[in-house]
Amino acid sequence: MRILPAFLRPLAALVLLLGLGAASARAEDSFADVAEKVNNKLVKVFGAGGFLGIPSYGTGILVSGDGHILTVASQMLETRDLRIHLANGDRYHAKIVAVEPELDLAMLKIEEKDVKTPDFYDITAEAQKAVVEPGTGVLAISNQFNVAMRAEPMSVQRGVVAAYSKLRGRRGINQAPYDGEVYFVDAIMCNPGGGGGALTTRDGKQLLGVVGKELRNTLSDTWINYAVPLQGKITIKGEKETKTVTVGDFVSQAIKGTYVTRDPKEKKKSSNLYTGIVLVPNVVERTPPYVEELDPNSPAARAGFKPDDLIVYVDGEQVVSIKEFKDAMDRYEPGAELKVEVRRGDKLSTLTLKLEDRGKKKP
Amino acid sequence: MLRRATLSVAWLGLAALLVPAEDSLDDLQQKTIKAAAKAVAPSIVQIETSGGTDIVVAGPRGVPIRKASGPTTGVVVGTDGYVISSAFNFVNKPSNITVRVPGHPEGYIADVIATDKTRMLTLLKFKTSPVKPLIVPAATPKAEIRVGQSAIALGRTLDPNPNDPPSVSVGIISAIGRIWGKALQTDAKVAPTNYGGPLVDLQGRVQGILVPLSPQAEGETGGVEWYDSGIGFAVPLEDINAVLARLKTGTAEKPFSLNRGLLGISVQSPDIYGPEPKIATIAPDSAAAKAGIQINDVIKEIDGKLVYNQAQVLHALGAKYEGDIVTVKVLRGTEEKTFKDVKLGSILNAHGRPVLGILPVRDDPEPGVEVRYVYPKSPADTAGVKEGDRITKIGPETGALGPFSGADGLAAILATATPKTKVKIEVVRKDKKTETLTVTLGELPEKDAAEEVPEKLPEEASKKKALEPRKPVPGMPPMPAPAPAPKKDDKKVELGVMQRKNASATHTYWVYVPRNYDPNVSYALVIWLHPVGKDKEKDDEKVQDDWIDYCRSNNIILAAPHAENKTGWVVSESDVIAEVARDVMATYTVDKRRVVAHGMGVGGQMAFYLGFHNRDLVRGVAATGAALTNQAKEKVPNQPLSFYLHAGSKDPLKDSVVESRTKLLEQKYPVVYREEKDAGHEYLDEKALDELVRWIDSLDRL
Repeated sequence: MRILPAFLRPLAALVLLLGLGAASARAEDSFADVAEKVNNKLVKVFGAGGFLGIPSYGTGILVSGDGHILTVASQMLETRDLRIHLANGDRYHAKIVAVEPELDLAMLKIEEKDVKTPDFYDITAEAQKAVVEPGTGVLAISNQFNVAMRAEPMSVQRGVVAAYSKLRGRRGINQAPYDGEVYFVDAIMCNPGGGGGALTTRDGKQLLGVVGKELRNTLSDTWINYAVPLQGKITIKGEKETKTVTVGDFVSQAIKGTYVTRDPKEKKKSSNLYTGIVLVPNVVERTPPYVEELDPNSPAARAGFKPDDLIVYVDGEQVVSIKEFKDAMDRYEPGAELKVEVRRGDKLSTLTLKLEDRGKKKP
Repeated sequence: MLRRATLSVAWLGLAALLVPAEDSLDDLQQKTIKAAAKAVAPSIVQIETSGGTDIVVAGPRGVPIRKASGPTTGVVVGTDGYVISSAFNFVNKPSNITVRVPGHPEGYIADVIATDKTRMLTLLKFKTSPVKPLIVPAATPKAEIRVGQSAIALGRTLDPNPNDPPSVSVGIISAIGRIWGKALQTDAKVAPTNYGGPLVDLQGRVQGILVPLSPQAEGETGGVEWYDSGIGFAVPLEDINAVLARLKTGTAEKPFSLNRGLLGISVQSPDIYGPEPKIATIAPDSAAAKAGIQINDVIKEIDGKLVYNQAQVLHALGAKYEGDIVTVKVLRGTEEKTFKDVKLGSILNAHGRPVLGILPVRDDPEPGVEVRYVYPKSPADTAGVKEGDRITKIGPETGALGPFSGADGLAAILATATPKTKVKIEVVRKDKKTETLTVTLGELPEKDAAEEVPEKLPEEASKKKALEPRKPVPGMPPMPAPAPAPKKDDKKVELGVMQRKNASATHTYWVYVPRNYDPNVSYALVIWLHPVGKDKEKDDEKVQDDWIDYCRSNNIILAAPHAENKTGWVVSESDVIAEVARDVMATYTVDKRRVVAHGMGVGGQMAFYLGFHNRDLVRGVAATGAALTNQAKEKVPNQPLSFYLHAGSKDPLKDSVVESRTKLLEQKYPVVYREEKDAGHEYLDEKALDELVRWIDSLDRL
């Protein structure tokens, strides 16, 4: 073997270590073909905005041969004059077919009749594939910053999956209604107009998700780069039943025209959970959840809680404040059993808390 | 860019040689990355904190940021429960720290037992023994780390489950020996999501620990503004291992702190890339003083390495700890001198300012210093010095007394003295009797003493002879007359409120000079730095309303530049502010010992910055509703700097302001802290302002 430059030696050593050095063949390391193929399945979306930091442009993914487009739900779509540009530069009008605010996704359709879009992603098939693990190389393709005009190909970014985990976006201006699993990516892809772009594996064989909006993360208080995965799902609590909706469900029903867009203002039912825990007064924004006292003979008393315990984790999730503890409890129904870890002195103790219905509270 | 391109071309060539068709080089690289992350994962812990403050201040402009609520990352450095992490993760002083280790059923409660203040690292120790030994990762030897090598940044913020794979960002080593020789640089994304986590090579060895760092800013949050930018830093694990034994000596009750090693000098040119490093000041009792290095020596070599400007000196000393030994070669005149085994000192040895506890009468051409005010219970008071006395000579306890010229001369002599030592002074009493008194010098700030501002000062502060030349002192070369100041002497200067522009017309500012201005009296100069958005005419009028009466009665000139940007001050504007101050000082009689940077909010941050970076100009910083974002810079002998901090008890920044006081006291700066009950983020009320004016009036304390 030729003597390699020093900076390549570790790699060469690794390649050899992996036992792959024997065979010799031409390897394809170009993303060019992949980028072109994906680009043909994307559209540029133009809508309302251009003020107050809301961009008037975005990206969408073709998901049917009849001009259905999956994109992120945003204020940009709230216009009668929604337009899209196909990869070949053709321009059409589009309308909203369905919106799922909790998935933060919207389905658009080209308004002009008989427009065929032969290049598209079969979301149902793509959603069946396995979630990829952190460290997997990805490409993010979107019209961020509206750099590409008409038939110009969109911007391609390379990165890796940083993590596959729950999205906890800061509420307020950059609200993230979706709180399920997302792909975090180490490429800076969540820029103005990036939302609705495609996140794919580097070989382009798998569409992983829909590039998200500009959002700050409450966990680190930094801007984050994420994509809603095709395997993403939400639980919708109705008056009578609780149902699960996946991205695949949303897409297939929206294409059929059967997806019912719910009223986003629909109220959550109020909590009727009873634990018997009385926390210390919530005096500052992040008062730690210390137990002040316990109702005698309550679920918490039976679980072994003691006054002055500091609640640290609820089912493995950290709760740093009284508000976070209450938010965490809102996710459970009476009858649920949770693992609560409390700090007592220098040790963490795990307690099992069985939730009861407030209505059945003993006097 | 070129290097990157070369690299991928080379990779392709290599791939053609070695890789089977089905596995592209990209796949191989991904596999290797995942394997490396997996190898280190058991040593990467998740740290959760609760309690502590919600708001911390960060960045060069001191923008308040919320301390994020998510978990942070640490790396195991001891099988029995030691974890190293970034000090950034504990900047809000959390009361509870829990650590979750992959593969361990329950979390552990941990304490901060040590902090490396040079590299902003924190060492945690579990309160109880782990149920099984923790796994210490292998360190990449520093000698093997080269620019261009792959580097993987790992963290545990994004995924709440510590048993899941850590979060991954992939890049290369961009540089080594960054931040004065302390850090590796990488283009992998480094952010609060992985601060405290490891930077790992392709073999799964730890190159370093990820931390926010900045070449300019010190402190826990310095460099945070660069998150995810492609410029990230990691402290080599090998360097951490070298000091680990020392860090482990700390305890929860008495955390160990590893400080920067200091020579104790300042150089003459403020431009760090400027001329040769010629020593301007040497702190008493410092490493340089003990070694026998002298003022005007030019540093030529440190540890055998040539240095030709201040930046080179910083590079040679920047990575050193207190107690480290260095060899310094200097040029004294034409003679080269080598000082071996110079043991670097620490800031903890720094002294306060030696003081007598008096205020001088100003603008007095007579030799010696007339005492205007004696601080109660001060060394001067104890020794029997009275108001109206004239101190004419000073000298060591056993030795001859010598005369000096005026307050400046006395200040220069005191600056070289050591606090708590005895000196003798000769005083001429009001009745012309001469006495010799022995005074034990005090220290400013006095340890644990509340810094008091005199409640009432004698009104006669000035002899009103500022423009007269100093009378010659017997036995000393005659003092040069005050520099010719044509503007001050002849034509009638403008008075009242004046609207101005700086020379390059980038900034507007106004100056207020009282109508009763007398060029023979030296005025205090207060530079007002407005908070964000308070640069309108009505805001200016409000400041003038508050201050004009004080300016008249206490001889103060007010100068108020406007920030160029709507979003507040930026660091680079300090030059403009200094220019404004110098312009005022060229036209009016200003007391150089009482130039004060005064600001609120971001203006207060700017006042801190101005104070630390314009040492030759600013003698006092008065900040309200503003906290010091970084560590306080070291003191410079004979360029005293005092602080007046003010905050409302309900100001969200209050805790940070209190913390600023601690930081300043650690560096032995005199600090007055005043908290206004039931007030939020507000300007000083009349009572506080009254005190601030007295504080300004007493800045020339000796």
